[in-house]
Amino acid sequence: MSSPLDSTIEGANGGIQPGRYYGRGVPYLPIDGYPGKLIAIEGTDGVGRSTQIQLLREWLEVQGYGVVETGWTRSTLMQPTIELAKASNTLNKLTFVLLYATDFADRLEKEIIPALKAGFVVLSDRYIFTALARAGVRGIDRQWLRNLYGFAIAPHMVFYLKVDVETLIGRVLAARGMDFWESGMDLKSGDDIYDSFRAYQNKLLREYTSMADEFHFRNIDARRSVDYIQHELRKQVAAFLEPTT
Amino acid sequence: MTFSLLHATDFADRLLYKIIPPLKAGMIVLADRYTYTAFARDATRGVDRQWVRELYSFAVRPDLALYFRVPIDVSLDRLTARRVKLKFYEAGMDMGWSSNPNESFRLFQGAVLEEYDRIVDEFGLQVVDAAGSITAQQRLVRELIAPHLAPNATEKKTDEQPVG
Repeated sequence: MSSPLDSTIEGANGGIQPGRYYGRGVPYLPIDGYPGKLIAIEGTDGVGRSTQIQLLREWLEVQGYGVVETGWTRSTLMQPTIELAKASNTLNKLTFVLLYATDFADRLEKEIIPALKAGFVVLSDRYIFTALARAGVRGIDRQWLRNLYGFAIAPHMVFYLKVDVETLIGRVLAARGMDFWESGMDLKSGDDIYDSFRAYQNKLLREYTSMADEFHFRNIDARRSVDYIQHELRKQVAAFLEPTT
Repeated sequence: MTFSLLHATDFADRLLYKIIPPLKAGMIVLADRYTYTAFARDATRGVDRQWVRELYSFAVRPDLALYFRVPIDVSLDRLTARRVKLKFYEAGMDMGWSSNPNESFRLFQGAVLEEYDRIVDEFGLQVVDAAGSITAQQRLVRELIAPHLAPNATEKKTDEQPVG
């Protein structure tokens, strides 16, 4: 295997300039020189991504930026299909991966690229790293996945809201309880949802960590208060959007 | 791109439920269109050729792949004789090349045929002249298939690596 930092890896890899396609891209949609900025907020379930994105959006809009939000499985084309497939238990892990990729492609073509072209700040609630982590845990070939997501655009910033599994368990239980997919019950590692959740989320966290350096994640301690995290996000986003030098 | 992935998802589902299980059971699977259709159609729609090939690398390589080749006029005649209206995507109307469905079909399917010619060489597809009579075609098909059905042929291991 090549080292993770090897930029000769085909498809999604960390050696790509922000705002460009990771791999072979979408040949009929050239994106070079588009004025918009793509900011991804990553992190597992229950780390507070949506709260932070909402606050960040308001703040950016007050500063005069046009903001577009996009989120995993939110495409109008694919969301109903994905929900149906999740509910019906006929979904193979490979089909799962491809459904997510289809949803992402739809949002890329219909939301992300047009917004970047028009100069918006695109806030992405999760990005391809979620797909790479989930599929990686499920044993899908990593090189194949990276090729698959070669049509994705390297974000200008990737914030990773990092949390430990103990904190996560506490939050998820307090908020809404553990659900089948978040607990990786499809991996059939056991009937106990608590044990499964713990093992699955641990594996996911390891996958994210393994990508952190390569894809230039900006780690933020998600155990801190909402205000602290938001302050940290704003500080870094401001420094990027309006460098003082 | 989305269109391409939607088809790949459908294909993955059929591969895992309808193709691999009977192959494992030693049965013959006849696939009406296979990954080559996606290679031709997606490349014509502007998707990167190499990317599509890598996308479908989870597919099983067929023991035999037949390509029924017809000139564009023949296929257009056959379709219009059978039904009045060409299908929107079949005619490549989404490409915006022509607002006339027949003209669009000719342009789009013409480009698809050129892609197929490339694929025939790349993947060693067996070409059947589909402009000929049904009987002549069927006899040729039987000839081509026969060697694969010889005793022991079903014992032959296919390249079954569904993921990656």
